[in-house]
Amino acid sequence: MKPLAPLEGLELAEAASAPGATIRTRRRLRLSWSMRIGLGILGVYVTVAMLSVFWTPYDPLAPGVGDSFLPPGQDFWLGTDRLGSDLLSRLMTGAQYDLGITLVAVAVALTLGTILGVIAGYYGGVVDVVLLRGVEMFQAFPGLLFAMLIVKAVGPGVLNIIVVMSFIGIPDYLRLARAEVQARRNWPYAEAARMVGNRAWQVAFLHLLPNSIGPVLAFTSINAAFVALITASLGFLGLGLSPNTPEWGNMIARGQDAVMTGEWWISFFPGLAILGMTGAFYLLGDAISDLTDPRRRR
Amino acid sequence: MPPLLRLILRRVFWVLPVALGVVTITFFAARVFAGDPTELYAPPDATDALRALIRIRLGLADPLWVQYIHYISALLRGDLGMSFSTNRPVLIDLWDRLPATLELGFTGLTIGILLGVPLGVIAAVNRERWPDFLVRGVTLGGMALPQFWIGLVLIWVFFVTLNWLPGPVGRLPVGIDPPSRLTGFMLIDTLAAGRPDLWFMALKQLALPAATLGLTTLAPIARVTRASMVEALQSDYIRTATAMGHTNRTVWFRHGLRNALLPVVTLIGGVAGHIFGGAVLLESIFGWPGLGQYALQAIDSSDFAALQGFVIYASLLYVLAFLVVDILYMLIDPRIRQ
Repeated sequence: MKPLAPLEGLELAEAASAPGATIRTRRRLRLSWSMRIGLGILGVYVTVAMLSVFWTPYDPLAPGVGDSFLPPGQDFWLGTDRLGSDLLSRLMTGAQYDLGITLVAVAVALTLGTILGVIAGYYGGVVDVVLLRGVEMFQAFPGLLFAMLIVKAVGPGVLNIIVVMSFIGIPDYLRLARAEVQARRNWPYAEAARMVGNRAWQVAFLHLLPNSIGPVLAFTSINAAFVALITASLGFLGLGLSPNTPEWGNMIARGQDAVMTGEWWISFFPGLAILGMTGAFYLLGDAISDLTDPRRRR
Repeated sequence: MPPLLRLILRRVFWVLPVALGVVTITFFAARVFAGDPTELYAPPDATDALRALIRIRLGLADPLWVQYIHYISALLRGDLGMSFSTNRPVLIDLWDRLPATLELGFTGLTIGILLGVPLGVIAAVNRERWPDFLVRGVTLGGMALPQFWIGLVLIWVFFVTLNWLPGPVGRLPVGIDPPSRLTGFMLIDTLAAGRPDLWFMALKQLALPAATLGLTTLAPIARVTRASMVEALQSDYIRTATAMGHTNRTVWFRHGLRNALLPVVTLIGGVAGHIFGGAVLLESIFGWPGLGQYALQAIDSSDFAALQGFVIYASLLYVLAFLVVDILYMLIDPRIRQ
């Protein structure tokens, strides 16, 4: 999005003269805001995640850097947990896990799912039926349960979680890309591309894919929010990562008992951290679909 | 044949291959992924002979494909097998726990629809003004927060701090005997037993988990209602209706909302499929003895039959939810009815 500020006066003048233009102007201003906020928040998260590799106020993994259950205060801004670990340090380090897992898993699912979807949509026939029925069966399986089963089997580890989360995401990308490509397969520009001698894969991936990618990208951001929430859920269940890992869902689970006795902060702040990240993904997804969906561009 | 009947028949026909696929995937996934349950039931100093005996008793001694054929043929007779950990037929276990999940699900879904749809309409008709921004902000939070965290915060506020509502100990306070089972729905059975005091206790137990479920459900419903309503309000028939001098309320609800409902109904179908499939984490936080908790325990104890039974239930429910959605479509949209 280009900044609109210098044009604002002009656009408002246009708005006054053209019926229906008012909405368009306001809309463009607003959507640039949700994109800016979303990107801004994610920027902060990325910065914190990278910073935490080199520096945190205390050692996030060390117990007893302070007393147990210290409420938020001057020395420990967000307080300490049962073991006396510093919550702020753990929260910062947690960004590495939650953000990192989410971004990598989504990137893998996006790539593989879209490629399979383009193939299914372009070639159709048996390939299409097999791929589509295949993912349908996996989609009827409850997602979190599936993740739990596999993670339980392959054992804990960041890489394992990433593999599982990408696997769960693939069906959605496949279906989206397939639908878009299939709808455009016989459009004149695709015919033209074939006629001048492009091979099938060139038409599918160089001509159809770039025109079909809009809805897929908008979904990517929404999907990232979903992946982040499932990752936190796995952590909350104590699956996937070793107990002391400062992953946010894991941290919430660790404070669950303390909530019952009034020490709310241990579970509370990781939830806010998740809120910021998934909220930013949703905002970004909204902004992208406003840009790419002509029905919403009005 | 009436179109409604044809639709249902076609769906039921399609359910079979999908169901077989789900059953097959679950069967092998459980055996590959969930680990060997023999260790869970054998004492640590068990001899190999004892272990072999346990495997025979659990039905795990045969080759995998023989086990599979046994399972499928039993399934065709309506037998879901025995749970290793409860030692009862899985079907009975599911039947026992179903009402808890349904009661929580119905309450949460009702809250979500009753609040979500009006909030979406309010946001749409006040587009780009403060009610819109407020609704969008709140619903963004409802979608971006993990359900288990919302549940914990509600427990902290209403139980720990204010002490208005009871703690997360299930459907009735500890030490209170439930009334005899009539429907399995606590709010109905207590009344049927003539115990309004128990009814009130059950309602208070239900309040927090249902509120959590309601909050997370209303968020997507309100957002989809808003988006669909915004689109409907920009259409020609709305301009016509307004020009003909109808009041705002008539235009919004009779002309706008009715045309905006289709995507909302689709979404609610999907949400309902998820909710009645057992909100796994929610039930575990609130100690709610429903199907989600059952599934979690089944995974923990490598209880194959129980896990398979749950997945079959959840996936059939999902198909059923979308069948209901399609039927509602026919009722709402006259174009499909022909």
